[in-house]
Amino acid sequence: MLKRISALASAVSFNGNDLSISESPDFALTQYAGAEKELKKALGKIPARVGVILEHDGRIQLRTNPAQIWLIGEPIEAEACISTPLSSSRTRIALQGKNTRVVLAKLCAIDFHPKQFKADMFVQTAIHHTPALIHCFGADDFHIYAMRTFALSVWEAVTDAALEFSA
Amino acid sequence: MTAFKRIDKQSHIDRTKLISFQFDGKMTNGFAGDTLASALLANGKTLLGRSFKYHRPRGIIGAGIEEPNALFTTGIGGRTEPNTISTTAELKSGITAKSQNAWPSLNFDLMAVNQLLSPLFGAGFYYKTFMGPFKKSWMMYEPIIRKAAGLGAALPDLDTARYDMRYMFCDVLVIGSGPAGLAAAVTAARTGARVVLAEQDFEFGGSILSSGSEELERWRKTQIAELEKSSEVRLLKRTTAQGIYDDNLVVLNHTPESHSALMITEQLRARTIIMATGAIERPLVFANNDRPGVMLASALRTYLNRFSVAPKKRAVIVTNNDSAYATAFDLAEHDVAVTVAEHRSALSGDLLAKAAQLGIAIFPSCGISDVVGEKQMRAVRLSGRHAVTIECDVLGMSGGWSPAVHLTSHGGIKPKFDEKIAAFIPGGFAKSHFGAGAVKGTFGLLAAIREGEVAARAALPECKKIKELDLPAIREDRKYSIQPIWNAAEKANEKYAFVDFQNDVTVKDIRGAHQEGYLSVEHLKRYTTLGMGTDQGKTSNINALAMMADLRGLAMSQAGTTTFRPPYSPITVGAIAGRTVAAHFRPKRLSPLHDWHVNNGATFIEAGLWMRAWYYNWAGNTPEAAYIKEMELVRQNVGIADVSTLGKIDVQGPDAAEFLNRVYVNGFAKLPVGRARYGVMLNDDGVVLDDGTTSRINDTQFYMTTTTAQAGEVMSWLEYLLQMHWTDLDVHVTSLTDQWGGMAVSGPNSRRALQLAFPEIDITNEALPYLGVMDFKFEGVGVRVLRLSFSGELAYEVHCSADYTTALWEHILNAAAPLGIKPYGLEALASLRIEKGHVAGADLDHRNTLDDLGLGKMAGKDKAYIGKELRFREDCQAPERWSLVGIECMEDGAKLRGGAILFAATDEIKGHGRGYITSVTWSTELNKYIALALYNGGMKHEGKEIICAFPLKNENVKARIVSPHFIDKQGERLHA
Repeated sequence: MLKRISALASAVSFNGNDLSISESPDFALTQYAGAEKELKKALGKIPARVGVILEHDGRIQLRTNPAQIWLIGEPIEAEACISTPLSSSRTRIALQGKNTRVVLAKLCAIDFHPKQFKADMFVQTAIHHTPALIHCFGADDFHIYAMRTFALSVWEAVTDAALEFSA
Repeated sequence: MTAFKRIDKQSHIDRTKLISFQFDGKMTNGFAGDTLASALLANGKTLLGRSFKYHRPRGIIGAGIEEPNALFTTGIGGRTEPNTISTTAELKSGITAKSQNAWPSLNFDLMAVNQLLSPLFGAGFYYKTFMGPFKKSWMMYEPIIRKAAGLGAALPDLDTARYDMRYMFCDVLVIGSGPAGLAAAVTAARTGARVVLAEQDFEFGGSILSSGSEELERWRKTQIAELEKSSEVRLLKRTTAQGIYDDNLVVLNHTPESHSALMITEQLRARTIIMATGAIERPLVFANNDRPGVMLASALRTYLNRFSVAPKKRAVIVTNNDSAYATAFDLAEHDVAVTVAEHRSALSGDLLAKAAQLGIAIFPSCGISDVVGEKQMRAVRLSGRHAVTIECDVLGMSGGWSPAVHLTSHGGIKPKFDEKIAAFIPGGFAKSHFGAGAVKGTFGLLAAIREGEVAARAALPECKKIKELDLPAIREDRKYSIQPIWNAAEKANEKYAFVDFQNDVTVKDIRGAHQEGYLSVEHLKRYTTLGMGTDQGKTSNINALAMMADLRGLAMSQAGTTTFRPPYSPITVGAIAGRTVAAHFRPKRLSPLHDWHVNNGATFIEAGLWMRAWYYNWAGNTPEAAYIKEMELVRQNVGIADVSTLGKIDVQGPDAAEFLNRVYVNGFAKLPVGRARYGVMLNDDGVVLDDGTTSRINDTQFYMTTTTAQAGEVMSWLEYLLQMHWTDLDVHVTSLTDQWGGMAVSGPNSRRALQLAFPEIDITNEALPYLGVMDFKFEGVGVRVLRLSFSGELAYEVHCSADYTTALWEHILNAAAPLGIKPYGLEALASLRIEKGHVAGADLDHRNTLDDLGLGKMAGKDKAYIGKELRFREDCQAPERWSLVGIECMEDGAKLRGGAILFAATDEIKGHGRGYITSVTWSTELNKYIALALYNGGMKHEGKEIICAFPLKNENVKARIVSPHFIDKQGERLHA
């Protein structure tokens, strides 16, 4: 097997005050595209609308647009719609700890107040001028899906924003 | 003589915390809670600056953001900050402050000679005086004038401070924490709403801090304590709202008390905004009103009640309104002898009674004729019927109050003039904006509190359910009374009567502007520089506007104001840049092979946001040396290059073939599975958008590659076509640029190299012919091999998932090492394609037609495609269009250069020529410089001699127009 090399191979995890930032590798991401009924036929249950997450059979579905769903987890053989493997296209960065929301607020114009951006929500936005998807998977736990080719720049922007929480 | 003292009085300074700081090289002390200005006054420092143009001695005028004079350069080295406003600068241990615009010292400033020349230096004199004797004389004078005049200097040192930024949201933003602001914030907070209270000062309270009232202080503390307990309230001291933009976006500059950043710029989206920005007292205009010791009356009260700094013995107050009596009474109650010069002829009984009780002498119907003293005032001469001279330490002046309407006008709502208070008030509020207190012209304290509460209730419907605010137990507000006095200067002294202290604009200058025809307030501003500089005319504008209105015979409401624009107060450039400096200035886009390139001797070049391997040190240490060796490697053996930056798009769906057939000029409907085809797409103007290859993976799936530069644009274009024009097509497109990495294996030995790398795969010419495509698994990883050539040699592109690209690259390098395979970089890649005559980004200028590039024959005649109709416009088919040609150098030792302007051999070398070189290289095959160019009439001129002019180096090189295909015109190498 060829060796997998991450875009963040040279990055060192950040462990600060109530904040940790690290790469969260080894995930499978597949995009499914098609009309609503095709997506339902292929995937069974799907998120009701864009911006909503559905956890099902150990997989997470993120509805990224009306005709597209990102599936995080083991890919599903789906002949009813179009599937495109995208695992290498995104680098996943995990932010955890009480100060995550403070750091995220420095990176994009999204309201990260706990009452507004709750667990199991995601948003498609931009970090450091590059597209990013941010998924809240716990009270103060977030994943940033950054484009692989910009991942190091995004990582540097995130850790720079976190500087005030350096241990 | 101007003198102040620190008095024994309870105030907002903390006498237990002594703070040492340096001013003009000397160590001085103050207390926590002081501003730089209050500490200097307490230490008897009253001469604190020199004026902008005339270098007149200047002292402190105000006690807040309006201060025009007492500006210092603070900090040292990379932390130097010019024009620090001493009246708002919180005193911190170790501050180093220097006076500005004086040499060799404040006390003895040689440039004060300008005062003697002041008759020559009236407004507009620059424009009139420095225009000759020759055409560009101004360029000669400008640096001298700049050096002689001005404010603090920005130093060349790199700013070492860190500046942060953030995006925040709230339900209610309250700007200003005076009585109205506190009331609004507390009322809103009681609903549980997300409230932000932004205060530019380092203490909350606004005018209450200057009041000296124990009851108001109790009320202030109570409100703050309640706000501090509210979990959804953010209390931001040292925070200036700099601008309000569309959709309630407010930019705040926050200086945190303790943080890794010196300043934080916050972009705050507020559901509603309550402006409680207060008002600024304005000066009166009379002769020598700029002398050190002449201050705003309200500032004297602030220094007394907030900082325990009082005039030593005697103060004179000159006023046209009631508010200055608060200062007079407070000073008198602290053993300062006070005299009031009152412009009005009559006063209300309560003021007269209290003045009498405190021993204050009031001279009605008079103002100030002149101020005696230069570096310090010694006395004032009263004007009017009481023409007496009164010795004093300070003169407090009050010309009334100007509501701080700046922010209310950012959305384009012009202020309106309110005759009752002789001031501009907000012309209205945008939806979801509210105002309260002095900003609306409500100058009573209890009224301000009530307005703050009302504003919060209007902003948040939820407020209906909460209880009313407790009011402080103070007596009801007095009615505000004012008699507008815009110009109290005697005609003979107008040249010494200052309207704008920061820009040395006098009454005479305004009269001059009127005489010269600069009548509009906007023209007045630009002609005299009135209202410019760091204070933006906070104390000066209204007096000047009124004077001009008077000269024009207009009412104030007709004269209007200049335009209020962000920022409200000066912002250091670092705060605007925030964290996006140095390495964080912009993102870098890295190939999956980037680290390998770094570790293996690559030198990089920026290509858009991409960092691309330019050349490798195995071939040389300069690009000129290296790329030639790398080209030779590819032409003679085999090289490997990173092509991961190419745009890659997955096109899938039952209608994918039809879609591509419409997008490309050439046919794709019948492209067989397992085959690739070169394609060109036009935009709907018939102009070339991009080129690339698209491979058919199966019946319904295609793999498109685009140029690196146009990848994003092509992706957007395809999405646009599918979503807006061809909604009937069942096609989905997805960018794979990040998903897939790619490498070009090129050269006569490239097939052997791949055979060594993938011995179990049949890649013979029969199995994988030119433009063939093959997918297979290697060590569990999907690999796609496309037989394509950019170099003109036998070549392949090998693509795989980005995560495995480095491993696959290393595997091919290792496997083919016996052949001598080595990496080659972007310079060689681009040079090889020039020899072959492939156009690329440099040759495509978004104006080329298909025919300009010699590709017209590719287009399908019988099929429809984007751009087809407009491609045949008369202008697009004109014979003299700049079209693609090859150029070869005819002079030994001479060099062709990119961008060189092309002329016919008989042309005069002048102007824009007949075309230009788009790409150039040394040809290792032809042993000469060759180029691609766009030339008027294109290949019609084949064989003709031309001149390649490069004026930047004064070079004119002879060359010849030839075919753009310099090598292997029959394509034998490609098909080998």
